[in-house]
Amino acid sequence: MPPGSGAFGAPLYVGWQLTNECNLSCLHCIEESGPGKAFKDELSREEALGVLGRLAVAQVPYLSFSGGEPMLHPAFWELVEAASAREMEVKIETNGHLLSPDDCARLRELGVKAVQVSLDGAGPASYEGLRVGGRFERAVQAVEDLRSAGTPVEINFSPTKFNAHEVGRAVDLAFEWGAAGFYSGRTIIAGNAAKTRGLIEPTEEQYERFFRTLREKAREYEGRMRVCFHELGLIEELNYRLANPAALFIILPNGKVKLINALPFICGDLRRQGVSEVWKSFLDGWRSPQVREFVSKLQQDPGGIGRLHEWAEVRLA
Amino acid sequence: MKLARFVKFREEKFGGVLFETRSEKVYTLSPTAAAVVKEISAGGGPEQVISRLKGRYNDPDGKLGAEAREFIAALASLGLVGE
Repeated sequence: MPPGSGAFGAPLYVGWQLTNECNLSCLHCIEESGPGKAFKDELSREEALGVLGRLAVAQVPYLSFSGGEPMLHPAFWELVEAASAREMEVKIETNGHLLSPDDCARLRELGVKAVQVSLDGAGPASYEGLRVGGRFERAVQAVEDLRSAGTPVEINFSPTKFNAHEVGRAVDLAFEWGAAGFYSGRTIIAGNAAKTRGLIEPTEEQYERFFRTLREKAREYEGRMRVCFHELGLIEELNYRLANPAALFIILPNGKVKLINALPFICGDLRRQGVSEVWKSFLDGWRSPQVREFVSKLQQDPGGIGRLHEWAEVRLA
Repeated sequence: MKLARFVKFREEKFGGVLFETRSEKVYTLSPTAAAVVKEISAGGGPEQVISRLKGRYNDPDGKLGAEAREFIAALASLGLVGE
């Protein structure tokens, strides 16, 4: 039997939410990001670069920068440059609105693995209805500029009741735009999505059609563009993670580390602790009765998922 | 020969891990396989890699060399190493 994540000395993948500040106010944002929503205690430039250096020493091979909108972090470019110089693979998860053609070329020069642009919809009505303050044409322009620069592009699509039917066309557009991958999955009903649930949550029938279309599109584009999607709901995913913790953790804008986005459990603080210490706490966290009981309660009361955003944070005992 | 552009290698207590970051596939390696990948990372063609391995470890019956050659071919067929 191959060694599981617990045998690794450090994570293989780190998802780093650089800032909670965002230029958009998306109805489904699990982080409740938006204008003026930066945490008061976000890592400073020096602290962020220090954390990056420690991740590099721990030989974390793969890093994604997200947010909020990661490009709003004052040290965004320095962090990408530093990660690139340390030969870490970097993915940027962005709404694309702040990307200029020069930025796209710079990302190409820095050798980023991919820029993932959120583009949920096949046209402005659904996209702009979900991504409040966003402009469909602007996001498409960013994708085209990335493609022109030769920077690998991926598209991320969050399904809602008013865009799920467009997914087939959205996959086709992604291919036409030259995307290397198309990513989707169930929208987690937490954060803003819990507040707007009635407006956005797809029905099970919609999800059935949505995933059927994605399965068809995955076959249609096989070998030409990756169509990746997770059909598991949050409870199923949490149960899977309890048995098989992934070799990844999530860094919040203030340096605290979460077991997984959707849960409130904090397993460490990279402002004060080393990567290996936090990694050990992460692995212990997935084994802790506190987390198992929490997931078990969610299973008994799935409505509790909608209240996850009310938990500020829970430090593991 | 070297590891392909999107392949990252890290030594671990159990041996090592190869992470193909494009497909996000993870390959765990035994100590012997990790030793081969470490030599690939140091550069040179397959025969140079095998020669260095033989120099470093005992290989009286040639078994190590044969297994390393087979393993390198498997890495190449998976696109994990290139020129």
